[in-house]
Amino acid sequence: MFGRRQRAAPDTFSTEVLGYLEPLYATAMRLTRNRADAEDLVQDTMVRALRFRDRFEPGTNLRAWLYTILHNTWRNRIRDTAREATDVDSDRIEELAARADGPAEVDTPERMLIRSTMDVDLKEALDGLPDAFRQAVWLRDVEEFSYAEIAKMLDVPIGTVMSRISRGRRQLYEKLTQAKTDAQVPVSR
Amino acid sequence: MSECRHVSEQLTSYVDDQLDVTRREEVERHLDQCASCRSAVARERGCHAVLRHHAQRLREEPLPPGLRSRCESLMHEQARAASVPGWRRTLVPTVLSVILLVFTASAIFSLATRRSDAVLAAQLTADHSKCFKLFVAGNPPVMDAHEVEEMLTREYGWKIHVPPSVDGLQLVGARRCLYADGLIPHVMYRAANGEDVSLFVLNGVTRNPTELVTFGHRSQIWTKNNTTFVLVGPEDESGQLVDATRYVMKEADR
Repeated sequence: MFGRRQRAAPDTFSTEVLGYLEPLYATAMRLTRNRADAEDLVQDTMVRALRFRDRFEPGTNLRAWLYTILHNTWRNRIRDTAREATDVDSDRIEELAARADGPAEVDTPERMLIRSTMDVDLKEALDGLPDAFRQAVWLRDVEEFSYAEIAKMLDVPIGTVMSRISRGRRQLYEKLTQAKTDAQVPVSR
Repeated sequence: MSECRHVSEQLTSYVDDQLDVTRREEVERHLDQCASCRSAVARERGCHAVLRHHAQRLREEPLPPGLRSRCESLMHEQARAASVPGWRRTLVPTVLSVILLVFTASAIFSLATRRSDAVLAAQLTADHSKCFKLFVAGNPPVMDAHEVEEMLTREYGWKIHVPPSVDGLQLVGARRCLYADGLIPHVMYRAANGEDVSLFVLNGVTRNPTELVTFGHRSQIWTKNNTTFVLVGPEDESGQLVDATRYVMKEADR
């Protein structure tokens, strides 16, 4: 019946979707922090993109559409598996984080920070952020989506997106500089 | 101080250059006088700059082996399934007689069903390959069917009958898989010849019984009591595996 006969040529939609596989997987890795979950998530995103392809309006941003599916799928998964981890209750996290956001002790010029930060340190520091902050910062600074696009992906108001980006960046900065200054400066928290 | 609070809400937009001229100047006037906000901007800028600088490499996460080919297969399968009703559009205008119309209607019906069967089989075959690769490594321990049933009930609230191991087929795992919008049980077996066999149970779904081959795997689909069972195994079933497949099919819907 449906044996391994001729393969239908992939259409433009499929080809374009497959073109985003790597960045989607990288995003899934930062979202799940775990290879198996990331792989699962990317595959499910592909399945959903196919199922809902009729809802995609040609000419609009396919990348943003795929990222929205990826984040929706992950949110559903977390809810379903009752892995309502610590970080999902974002209001509380933001409240806690606001208290933790102390004044900056060190004001390293950004160039110095760029030079001295390795990819590995950066991934580690990112993974150390609360989920809600990491998602917002990643989508803005790495993937360069607009506030409005991110708000849609994370299903939160734009104001929340901005405050998460802001807090996320400041915390990340602390993490990156703290690691370097630990040796000389006593940590004051 | 209240000015700080007012301005601090705009600092992120300022760093991202998203403010109009008036507001930008307002923020800059404040920054001239406020060291604390200047330092906040410096931190955000530093962080933004570091991430932009590393963005390309951060986005290059090596893909796990097999992921690309599985996703490509999903796309190919979908493209092929979607191309089937294309016939209908060219065929219909040529149909004139009532008899032919009736004939076509039944053909369309069966094509539609086969199309969705192909998509079902493709998705579950992809899950079959993925789950075995990710969750069943090397020589997996044999599991007790009752314990697996209890685990599925306890963890996910599912009450399904899990066919126990027999000669030539060992129960090696069970997990939860995402299918369409729902989550379904996936029971995994390993045959004596090392081949993998999966049983999926879709509650509340009815399908006509069928058998088809996708991505080199054979899927058997059948329904009993408003529950659809899908058994995914290797395309070429040799001797012992035929018996094993028959056994699971007979046992699963008891």
